[in-house]
Amino acid sequence: MMEKLLDIFKRNYQTPLVILIIFLIWQFAVMLFNVREFILPSPLATLAHIFVPQPDANYNWTVHLSTTIYEVLLSFAITSFVGIVIAIIMAWSRLMNDLLLPVFVFINSLPTIAIAPIITLWFGYGILTNVFIAFLVSFFPVVVNVAVGLNKVDEDLLDLVRYLHASKWQIFIKIRIPNSLPYVFAGLKICSTLCVVGAIVGEFIASDKGLGYIIINSQFTMDTPPIFASLILISVIGVVLSWLVSFLEKILMPWYRSETVQV
Amino acid sequence: MKKFGAIVGNHYKKLLAIFAFLLIWQLVVMLFGIKEFILPSPIKTFSYLFIPELAAQYDWPRHIGTTLMEILIGFTVTAIVGILVAVLMTWSSVLKYIIKPIITLFYSLPKIALAPLFLLWFGYGIIPNVMIAFLVAFFPIVINTAVGLNAVEEDLLDLVHYLHASKWQVLVKIRLPNALPFIFSGFKISATLCVVGAIVGEFIASFQGLGFVLKQAQGLMDTPPMFASLILISILGLSLFGFIALLEQWVMPWQQSRQNR
Repeated sequence: MMEKLLDIFKRNYQTPLVILIIFLIWQFAVMLFNVREFILPSPLATLAHIFVPQPDANYNWTVHLSTTIYEVLLSFAITSFVGIVIAIIMAWSRLMNDLLLPVFVFINSLPTIAIAPIITLWFGYGILTNVFIAFLVSFFPVVVNVAVGLNKVDEDLLDLVRYLHASKWQIFIKIRIPNSLPYVFAGLKICSTLCVVGAIVGEFIASDKGLGYIIINSQFTMDTPPIFASLILISVIGVVLSWLVSFLEKILMPWYRSETVQV
Repeated sequence: MKKFGAIVGNHYKKLLAIFAFLLIWQLVVMLFGIKEFILPSPIKTFSYLFIPELAAQYDWPRHIGTTLMEILIGFTVTAIVGILVAVLMTWSSVLKYIIKPIITLFYSLPKIALAPLFLLWFGYGIIPNVMIAFLVAFFPIVINTAVGLNAVEEDLLDLVHYLHASKWQVLVKIRLPNALPFIFSGFKISATLCVVGAIVGEFIASFQGLGFVLKQAQGLMDTPPMFASLILISILGLSLFGFIALLEQWVMPWQQSRQNR
């Protein structure tokens, strides 16, 4: 157990170390150069805003944090489910694939986020609007990724199993779906970041709660510590979600070593 | 002219699809009597762009110019800096050791959330929006380029090493050409992201640009200019994307584009 922990630490020590160094440099830079708080607050002042009651702007962090987490998780669940189901339908029927895939690839190259103000106009303020924006932003990359994965099967293998009279269903369950898993997870990782982006931009444009709301509200009052506090919390949400996806990936595909950022 | 005909011939399906889409949109709005503040018809939308009396309320050339400028500057800076950083990372293992964890950390963060901060620091205008576009689009280019620079056959490296090739020669003659497909797929991702960054910057705070028109018209519940801006933004994004695809074909005529596969 101890050895395993040590092993995990040895493989992953870099990122926490980088975060720690960034925080240290940030704190010392603010102290040394005497940077004013409205330009750059020190990390300690920032964290104090989350944990210690403040005299001026007092945000109810639990409400805002849980709103954003709720939006991100709900949109992630909906997007991954709908995205995978539609990709499977596309892989199942040639017609649907020829009809939908070019459209999805096309929309995927558009800046989908630009539609956010129209969505808020249609559905009004609120959590569901932001969930919908997050869905629109992250849906297309997921579908395209999964669809590509389902179609990328070794032709020889397909010939072989056809010769062995495998049914379409068997090919699907035993070959196409396992084969597409790496692509599914690549899609889900993109989705985990984009859902956060969508939810936050939705909150920027129109909302009355959530971390994006705090950022915009504090921007108006030039109150930077809550902005940085929200940024840290948003980053934590994004990172935790993508860790969860990686964790799930390791459980479902222990044989596959994800090639995330092999620089 | 013949070439133009060939291009139309290659893309007629797409043009047909866009035309069919506009036609269905128009028919749906007319048939179901959808109110304009919910969904304006495409004719109404386009009339806000082209009919002088309606278009006069919106200074379209200025807004398009602003957004276009932000996107182009943002993309150019991103492309140059991104490739440079990736090359530095492959050049020196010390730099790689320092830069790599930072890049892996920031890659998965929702960088767009920094946008309001940039506006607070740098004020309104083109510069903060360019910086937001840069921040959002930078990491995919670095990572794609770095992966491409490293995806070189070991045997080839051994061979040229044996032939006393300098580090510079290896970079220019082997690593960079090898990385081109990766660089271009990074460009394509970043092209869209640059547009996203510029537009979100304009949403948050600006006094010109297509994102500004969208946000302002939203406040007035004036939907036709919103859809007009949306169409213009899409055209800008697609043009940049198309330009990169053309450049790719020109730079690497031997490489079939991996797009859509």
